[in-house]
Amino acid sequence: MAETILVVDDDLDILELLKMYLEPEGYNIRTANDGEGAVQSVCIDPPDLILLDVMMPHKDGFQVIEELKNIEHTKNVPVILLTARGQTEDKVHGLDTGADDYITKPFDLREVTARVEAVLGRTRPIKYINPLMHAMGDRFSEEGVQQLAGHLQAAAAIQKKLLPEQAPNIEGFDITTLLQSSTSVSGDFYDFIPLSETQIGIVLGDVKGNGIPAALLMVMIRTALRLLCHEEDTPALILKRINDLVVRDTEADLFATMIYGILDTETSTFTYSNGGHCYPFHWKNTDGVSVLKTGGMLIGAFEEATFTSEVCSLSPGDILVFYTDGITETAGKNGAVFSGDQIELTNSAHSDTPEDAIPMDTFYGGDRLAACLSENTALSASALCEAVVNDLALFSGSTTPHDDRALIIVKRDT
Amino acid sequence: MNFETTIGEQNISILHVEGKILGNAADAFRKEMNEQLQTGRDRLVVDLMNVPLIDSSALGAIVVTLKSYQRSGGKLVLLNPQKAVREVLEVTQLNTVIEIYDTEEGACAAFV
Repeated sequence: MAETILVVDDDLDILELLKMYLEPEGYNIRTANDGEGAVQSVCIDPPDLILLDVMMPHKDGFQVIEELKNIEHTKNVPVILLTARGQTEDKVHGLDTGADDYITKPFDLREVTARVEAVLGRTRPIKYINPLMHAMGDRFSEEGVQQLAGHLQAAAAIQKKLLPEQAPNIEGFDITTLLQSSTSVSGDFYDFIPLSETQIGIVLGDVKGNGIPAALLMVMIRTALRLLCHEEDTPALILKRINDLVVRDTEADLFATMIYGILDTETSTFTYSNGGHCYPFHWKNTDGVSVLKTGGMLIGAFEEATFTSEVCSLSPGDILVFYTDGITETAGKNGAVFSGDQIELTNSAHSDTPEDAIPMDTFYGGDRLAACLSENTALSASALCEAVVNDLALFSGSTTPHDDRALIIVKRDT
Repeated sequence: MNFETTIGEQNISILHVEGKILGNAADAFRKEMNEQLQTGRDRLVVDLMNVPLIDSSALGAIVVTLKSYQRSGGKLVLLNPQKAVREVLEVTQLNTVIEIYDTEEGACAAFV
């Protein structure tokens, strides 16, 4: 996952400059334009690093550091001070207060990247090993940490293996898949389950939450699906079974959204049920795009959840697009209109509240995805997938996803 | 995200949330909803009028808290969710298990 840097400066031009420079380097950039906003932003969601201006009205950089050092969950966030004065006293005071490094203004942007990388390089291991040490408590040992880290790696590898490496080859259909993970273990998943000579089960889902609990739930659902899917059962029945299983075995805040359907190559139909998942698209030459809404609630939160199935017929050339919200919730380049390699600055990024300074104001959205689909219906499934990925990069100004993204495209041959 | 809880008539708590509820902010949101329940007030209106966006963590917080309120014989309803939030509630069909009102009067009447 991309690391997040909070840039704090009362000079909006410097905020904009650092954001413009650091974002293409692959960092997530958040901004705050005063000390109060910085403290709030860090408390709500601690970033991986803070670039902090010293001289600010009301609350200066030193005060910000002092406050953050007194709060348990923010005290370990590394800080690089931006000092305009270049005075030794300031630097010493800064380092005494607990800053990790400082940069003197005016700065060389290359120096900024080098120092940012150096500090992140030092703190990365602490960030990943400390929580492990904490969790292990008295049982902590070097060896134990190594072992646990090894297990995490193994878990990621197992999960990766569970996902089909390539889409199945089915006569009369052109199928392609995409999965981009933002962390070592992914919450998004898909699977293809052969049911009979002419039927294949297709599933796409998104387990909510992050890390190991989400990964375990994903493995549980995926395994349950494999065992429960029989050609004679309706997708609604399958989702109900999965729901009841997950409700029984997990806490209510651990849930998933998923769509399960059966593609029948003989009848050219897709029978599906949607468990609270983003509505997939069905593109028809005659009618354009419609959405597949039929189904029920999200999976695994409520005992009383009920589901229904629907059949949709696929004519030659018809396209089905399944996706997770990591695609439609891709954030736009806030404050900058991105067109190809040209970046234009606008003033919309300047705002008073730190939360609104997080560049998440506009989302890619289902409408734009549907538009991208409609414009590229003549393409093969894989070329269409590529068109979507390119459009996402154009919209967000970045090729690195900040959330897991999964996509399945099924196209009936013409 | 900021929030403030006011106590209205008939011991109904109204939680006014302002700003997006994303990521770790959901923990504070959940804690506030639970605190009401723990102090014995089991009638909660969550005012979402000024919430432009929620993510799955916030959704999880609502699901868990809704169940806690139901278990203790109380009730939790939502007030005035805006377009993006309403869409999330519709897609996940949470709108089928949680009552949603457009006005504060309507929401408070739900407890009568």
